[in-house]
Amino acid sequence: MTPASFRMLVSIVSAGLAGAASAQQSPAGAPAPDTSKWECKSCPFPQGAGGDVGVGAVNVNGDSYQFGRYTGLKKDTYLGLDASARYAGGAGYADFIGTDLGLPYRSLEYQHWLKGFKWHIGYAELPFLISDSARTPFSGAGSTSLSLPPTWVRGVTTQTMPGLAASLQDVKIDSSRKRLGYGLAFMPTRDWELGVNVKHETREGTMRMAGSFFLNSTQLVAPVDYSTDDVEAYASYAASKWQVRFAYQVSMFKDSNTSLSWDNPYAETIPGATLGQLGLPPSNQFHQISASGAYQFTDRTRATGSLALGRMEQDESFLPATVNPTITPVALPRNSLQGQVDTTRADLKVVSALSAKWGLNVAYLYDDRNNKTPQATFNWVTTDLQPAATPRTNLPYSYTRNLFKVSADYRVTPRDKASLGIDRDGQERTFQEVSKTTEDTAWAKYALRRDQFEVSMNYASGRRDGSSYTAVPQISPPENPVLRKYNMADRDRSLVGFRAAATPTETITVGLDYSLAKDDYNNSPVGLTYSKEYTVGVDLSAQVIQGTSLHLYYSRQKIKSAQAGAQSFTNPPDWSADNTDTIQTAGIGLKQVLIEDKLDVGADLTTSHSVGDIRVTTALNEPAFPNIKSDLSTFKIYANYKVKGELSVYASLWHERYSSQNWAIDGVGPSTIPNVLALGETSPEYKINVASLSVRYRF
Amino acid sequence: MKNKHRLLAVPFIAVCCLTAAQVAAQGGDKGEAALASEYSEKGADTCLQCHSVEPFFSTKHARRDDPRTPFAGLQCEACHGPGGAHAKGMAAGQLVPITITFGPKSKQTAAQQNKPCLGCHERDSRIAWKGSEHETNDLACVSCHQLHTARDRMLTAGGQAEKCLTCHIRQRGDFYKATVHPVRYGTIRCSDCHNPHGSGVAGKLLVKSTLNQTCYTCHAEKRGPFLWEHAPVSEDCTLCHTPHGSVYPALLKKPAPLLCQQCHSPAGHPSVAYTSQGLPGGTPSGFLLAGSCTNCHSQVHGSNHPSGARLMR
Repeated sequence: MTPASFRMLVSIVSAGLAGAASAQQSPAGAPAPDTSKWECKSCPFPQGAGGDVGVGAVNVNGDSYQFGRYTGLKKDTYLGLDASARYAGGAGYADFIGTDLGLPYRSLEYQHWLKGFKWHIGYAELPFLISDSARTPFSGAGSTSLSLPPTWVRGVTTQTMPGLAASLQDVKIDSSRKRLGYGLAFMPTRDWELGVNVKHETREGTMRMAGSFFLNSTQLVAPVDYSTDDVEAYASYAASKWQVRFAYQVSMFKDSNTSLSWDNPYAETIPGATLGQLGLPPSNQFHQISASGAYQFTDRTRATGSLALGRMEQDESFLPATVNPTITPVALPRNSLQGQVDTTRADLKVVSALSAKWGLNVAYLYDDRNNKTPQATFNWVTTDLQPAATPRTNLPYSYTRNLFKVSADYRVTPRDKASLGIDRDGQERTFQEVSKTTEDTAWAKYALRRDQFEVSMNYASGRRDGSSYTAVPQISPPENPVLRKYNMADRDRSLVGFRAAATPTETITVGLDYSLAKDDYNNSPVGLTYSKEYTVGVDLSAQVIQGTSLHLYYSRQKIKSAQAGAQSFTNPPDWSADNTDTIQTAGIGLKQVLIEDKLDVGADLTTSHSVGDIRVTTALNEPAFPNIKSDLSTFKIYANYKVKGELSVYASLWHERYSSQNWAIDGVGPSTIPNVLALGETSPEYKINVASLSVRYRF
Repeated sequence: MKNKHRLLAVPFIAVCCLTAAQVAAQGGDKGEAALASEYSEKGADTCLQCHSVEPFFSTKHARRDDPRTPFAGLQCEACHGPGGAHAKGMAAGQLVPITITFGPKSKQTAAQQNKPCLGCHERDSRIAWKGSEHETNDLACVSCHQLHTARDRMLTAGGQAEKCLTCHIRQRGDFYKATVHPVRYGTIRCSDCHNPHGSGVAGKLLVKSTLNQTCYTCHAEKRGPFLWEHAPVSEDCTLCHTPHGSVYPALLKKPAPLLCQQCHSPAGHPSVAYTSQGLPGGTPSGFLLAGSCTNCHSQVHGSNHPSGARLMR
């Protein structure tokens, strides 16, 4: 952003900020009454603390990392505790919630308000189970050094590694986040708020990785030992006509490990290549100062704007170019990256109801990523095997986005609205094939609301054009000259949306939703040429009879795309690929009050079926790939019985089954691919029952 | 990477629009029904003769000794508007509606319902509510939030997902796919990534300044900058990933090698058509199976290794 334009932007915002706040009045505009005699005698303010506590047990009768992917649940019996408590006094408020304590995913939150102060603290654990079917001949999974057995005999291919089968061992790949957050805010007056929020997160465990010696590859289990500290300090002020917020944010990421080394299981094609070394994510940090503000010019016109200036830094010491002792050490142009990216984001939005019927919205966004990392030419080593013939120069990518939006609304009635708008989205990039793209989009929307139904529909049409497509000279080997990368290619885009919801009776709600997005890349001989996605969904909620409620839903999504490829530069394209994903999700839920204020029962069934169909067509007319599939069915019945007073019992039975197929891993053992020593994973499949019983007391 | 003309045009356009808006607004407001009337004589004590909202009194809004809360002032009428005529009318057996009612059966527009809320809350993360996607779609605060219950569902992970996915049908289906962000399990919330109250101009209602910054909130290891960057990674994570759920591993839009071949077609192995002949029953191909391209180019998010120019170290 230029200094001149920035000054103008600031001047508009500051002109607004300079306005004096008008005197407070009641929200409805009427003169405020004398409330000193409003005693609130009959107000049922709670006396002391209240809350509830639930103690119970959860039994899981099977093991599957797919089942417990985000919960960490495995075959086990867990003791669970849920608790909440709240104290609400005249000027203060304290609230505690403990969720799923005793389970692998658990969280605690506490917040406290007291006349001008508020503070909070929270803690959560988030497991992430990745794979329980991997096998590896390496020991040391989770460390920075993976070793083969001392008796290992290297093979030219995975099939000629004589000790492979005997040395395979199961290895589980998973990680867990532990997140602690806390903050304090001080509100010296109604208008001011000053505060700070802190978050400390650790992530420990393992992840999949792979390393290669030229075309001989090995899937590896790499360590994860990250910590991230985020701090945000802010000050905000809110008058009746204008509001501002200033903030400083810092995020510090630290990886305790810098590299992963592994023994080369393949026969040495070049002497000395017995060990490989991969870089792990480097520690980095991000700082940002931001200001946002709004000014209410009139009851009908408001402007908001924000400015955020950020800096990303990374300066971790470089690893050596190779760990191959037979290669002469490679001199590096410097010892660390000295990486620096400056980010600038500014936006301004003016929203005005010109009259009771007409509205006008104008918006602008400036988003700049200015990569100031110094360039240098690096001599490098190809996969710890041999020095590369041609040095490479790093390309610090920068981009700038300018987005303009103008739209107008017309209120046909107070509840019906027609909208028209145009957007212009411009992107400029460095070191890429297209230096500038511009996308113009026109859109229209109509929303209609009545007491018993509402309908909205929208349509958008956009066209993106780029400047000339020119090969980047530093990229070697060069791409096919007729390839068009889809984020920069010329594109025609159409979007259609329709949504209707009706409440024909007091007890029935019906909804229908449809959306379509279509992209044509007409000037892309090679690359993505076409994509289309539609989703249709229907919903029904009904109270069938008194005490019985029913909910049904179904959605179908289809995602199609086509691309063209070229094995030869001389006559492109010479192959094509079509990808069609079809996903269907259906659910039914039934809830029944069996005994009023005593016993509720319910059942929920959800199924999801997805199919990924991929066809690659060449002159040889090979058969299509098998489908990539997943089927999920989850069924739960539950009952809540109020025993006496504030004591209740909750019981549930949950059955979930899942099956999947993925040709990328099915039947691919560690030695199936001659030049890839794979982890030999299989597509997940499970049938698991979960039973839970808990007693809850409300106090 | 500067564009002076466009930048200068923006404040100019804004000033023009603002001026036009100001002029037009002079004659406005004629079509809007007046909401104000007289307040009740005894405040909540009057209302509670007929209305029972006990859970409300344990919420933040009902802290009568804290002048920042509505119950320290106009009590029920702070949000519902003057209730004098309503109270008198009902006492006399006449059906006189309260000034402002909330919810789908309300006779007030969404903007009218939102006005009392915004009187206190139009600041900080809600500063850009006006003109945001939800506001322009005529959502009222109470379309999502519950005020008279002890715990607003939107402040809980489960309740938030349930409410958001009522309208966001496509995302509801996404969360049942093979790889997802775990919103369905309640371990992350919609609001961890999205600010439903408006977040500037770019759309998507994200909590951070840019899409990538939002992703880096949890995936800071991919932030870099790296010595060898992968251009689309630093530009937009969603060029390769779909954020809510995918049929394919790692929330990818399509599997490798086809995903990679949409942008890479140099001479040699990246441009080859990998067909079903490369499956285990044929000639198993390392370019197709297991990690496909990432069997060798494992550093797809960028490499800081001096020999990582091809994202292989």
